Amino acid sequence: MMRVRGLARLARSGYARGQWVYSSLGSGESAPLLLEHSSHFRNPLQSSREVLSCRVIYSWVSYAISTVGEQVQLQSSSAIEEQVDPFSLVADELSILADRLRSMVVAEVPKLASAAEYFFKLGVEGKRFRPTVLLLMATALDLPIQRQTTEAAVNALSSELRTRQQCIAEITEMIHVASLLHDDVLDDADTRRGIGSLNFVMGNKLAVLAGDFLLSRACVALASLKNTEVVSLLAKVVEHLVTGETMQMTITSDQRCSMEYYMEKTYYKTASLISNSCKAIALLAGQTSDVSNLAFEYGKNLGLAFQLIDDVLDFTGTSTSLGKGSLSDIRHGIVTAPILFAIEEFPELRVIVNQGFEKSSNVDRALEYLSMSSGIQRTRELAAKHASLASAAIDALPENGDEVVQRSRRALVELTHIVITRTK
Amino acid sequence: MMSVRGLARLAKSRGRWVYSSLESAPLLLELPSHFRNPLQSSPQVLGCRVIYAWASNAFSTARQQADLRSSSAVEKQVDPFSVVADELSILADRLRSLVVADVPELASAAEYFFKLGVEGKRFRPTVLLLMATALDLPIQRQTSETAVNALSTELRTRQQCIAEITEMIHVASLLHDDVLDDADTRRGIGSLNYVMGNKLAVLAGNFLLSRAFLALASLKNTEVASLLAKVVDHLVTGEIMQMTTTSDQRCSMEYYMEKTYCKTASLISNSCKAVALLAGQSAEVSNLAFEYGKNLGLAFQLIDDVLDFTGTSTSLGKGSLSDIRHGIVTAPILFATEEFPELRVIVNQGFEKSSNVDRALEYLSMSSGIQRTRELAAKHASLASAAIDALPENEDEVVQRSRRALVELTHTVITRTK
Repeated sequence: MMRVRGLARLARSGYARGQWVYSSLGSGESAPLLLEHSSHFRNPLQSSREVLSCRVIYSWVSYAISTVGEQVQLQSSSAIEEQVDPFSLVADELSILADRLRSMVVAEVPKLASAAEYFFKLGVEGKRFRPTVLLLMATALDLPIQRQTTEAAVNALSSELRTRQQCIAEITEMIHVASLLHDDVLDDADTRRGIGSLNFVMGNKLAVLAGDFLLSRACVALASLKNTEVVSLLAKVVEHLVTGETMQMTITSDQRCSMEYYMEKTYYKTASLISNSCKAIALLAGQTSDVSNLAFEYGKNLGLAFQLIDDVLDFTGTSTSLGKGSLSDIRHGIVTAPILFAIEEFPELRVIVNQGFEKSSNVDRALEYLSMSSGIQRTRELAAKHASLASAAIDALPENGDEVVQRSRRALVELTHIVITRTK
Repeated sequence: MMSVRGLARLAKSRGRWVYSSLESAPLLLELPSHFRNPLQSSPQVLGCRVIYAWASNAFSTARQQADLRSSSAVEKQVDPFSVVADELSILADRLRSLVVADVPELASAAEYFFKLGVEGKRFRPTVLLLMATALDLPIQRQTSETAVNALSTELRTRQQCIAEITEMIHVASLLHDDVLDDADTRRGIGSLNYVMGNKLAVLAGNFLLSRAFLALASLKNTEVASLLAKVVDHLVTGEIMQMTTTSDQRCSMEYYMEKTYCKTASLISNSCKAVALLAGQSAEVSNLAFEYGKNLGLAFQLIDDVLDFTGTSTSLGKGSLSDIRHGIVTAPILFATEEFPELRVIVNQGFEKSSNVDRALEYLSMSSGIQRTRELAAKHASLASAAIDALPENEDEVVQRSRRALVELTHTVITRTK
């Protein structure tokens, strides 16, 4: 990681155009990783020879970056679609943000640090998914620099904008973790006085307090951006998170079997945060409402695809066979897309769903029906559809000749592949 | 109430809100002596009451905008709550519509404390609406009347919005506090966590907060947004301070006042300031509004602390004693520990044993803790009053009356018995 930081610092000073240069250093590690990628990641238009030479060029470039330490001229390989590891592109920036968040909590409210395990909870492939999306989106939406402005002014504006966009990423994480604390730690049952162990009760209180702390800090940070439209967007996100969780808590038997209800709940619980914060990034960048809506569509479809695959993985785990996943959704009585699709094919499954899944025999029967149905398949297809809608949103963004911008856009497209091909 | 509305509508044609305190006349006659302006002599006081009762009668029969200048020589008493009662019920309706949710259980939870009968004393909105009137800038005569009307109404609506936002934030914090305190009741009914569970109560609080911020964003004033965001931060900080005190901090008056500012006064002070900012007032005036709110809030809480020990009587131990039973050490005890260091030992032991509660009450009764708390409250109340007196001159009778009402409140908070 040291070398990455070094390059970023050099790039910051030497890069008079005020843009952030990322490299995927530690790329000693990532180059082999690229070579192991399965075939989905290749641009289907490439011939095998091109693919091979692309990989060769890419590893050379990575090596060049690590030894020479200069701003990389990527135009040499612009004719060929390079593969980018989206997470590495922003890893350095992200670790600064994560440290900032973590140290703020520890410094100001040490007693809440025990609830801090949630702050370190990592998502897709062990990476910080949401902030990654947002930072990539920030770069992808960089408006072309006006040549008349002085370089110093450009630098100042660029880094101020970047700081504001990083702030969106931080706010998003704070809201996300606060909702985890309030949703996951508190139990759903009526907790009357006297019931429950002290630890359990204290755990609840810490969770409420820690969540409140994060939410209040998010509010302050939000207000400091001095953009009331962005405040509206993120306020709506909080409302949606609450709505989604309540929808889940208070679901009736009819609603439990409704795909429409499920997708609405999923939008509120998962996709709204990413979609609205992508839009906020676009607004801060001064983009038009058309472009802001494209950013929104990307986030929304990416989020939906993400959740649908999450649902599948809960059944399949890292294998392709059923029942190898943790089955935690179904055991908690949460009915997800694969089961909902299966119900359409096997109405008798609805009866089992209505009975609930406290008895493991019902879980087994449901899995049987699921395996007979095309539930898993159809869920994957739906996820793929949303993933390609997300990808299309990026392709629809206004032209931008800048290589760094293009690379971030490629990374965003890469993510739409990763969310549907991941196995955990 | 009908005649109040009628009068208000008639008065609106001049682009101003005119309030009257019709029903409140009998109430005024019953007020104890603290409420009188101490500079008044008794015949004047009597004369004042007679004049006031006549004036009220004149309103209800004449239905005209009262020319109050005839009695301007004598300080008239106003019942602050009646002055804004009509507007408050408009606010209550609007609030109920602002917190509507789609999911039925969430809707029930969110509106729980906004329903008729459980809105509480609505102390904060009263202060804010009075402040809004009190800070009314003199109308420029050049502007056309319709323009003036439109601007006035729009400003008023925005200031009412601050009152609504404040209530939403306040109730959100109540919902969470009740979860943290395991409270059973609130405002005379079951607490939301008791009735619908902890999780729903927490979620409802978050929901109200999100609606508050949505309303805040609609005001399109980033300074006001920052002020209210700061309030939310303070509320949480105050709660954290309360839940994580060390034994040194527990006996520290300074820590206690800071915590009290965060938990109680910050909301009123910063929303008063927001009302001033929306009115386009200068920074100095906005700060005076802030100081009023802050000192009023602190005075309010200090008397709350006393009442928890004394209740409606003047003797100790008749109050609910709920603070001390929850291990919350308040100003009277803190003053008492200054006189009786051995009380500090008991405080550090905690108050789970009722014998410790009894011993603490003994020390408290021997000390001048209650007395000193009342004195501190009075000091803050008069600072609040001074802030109003420092406001820039404004001849308008309606403005003056609101200012008098605000000063009245500084008396009410320290003389109330519940």
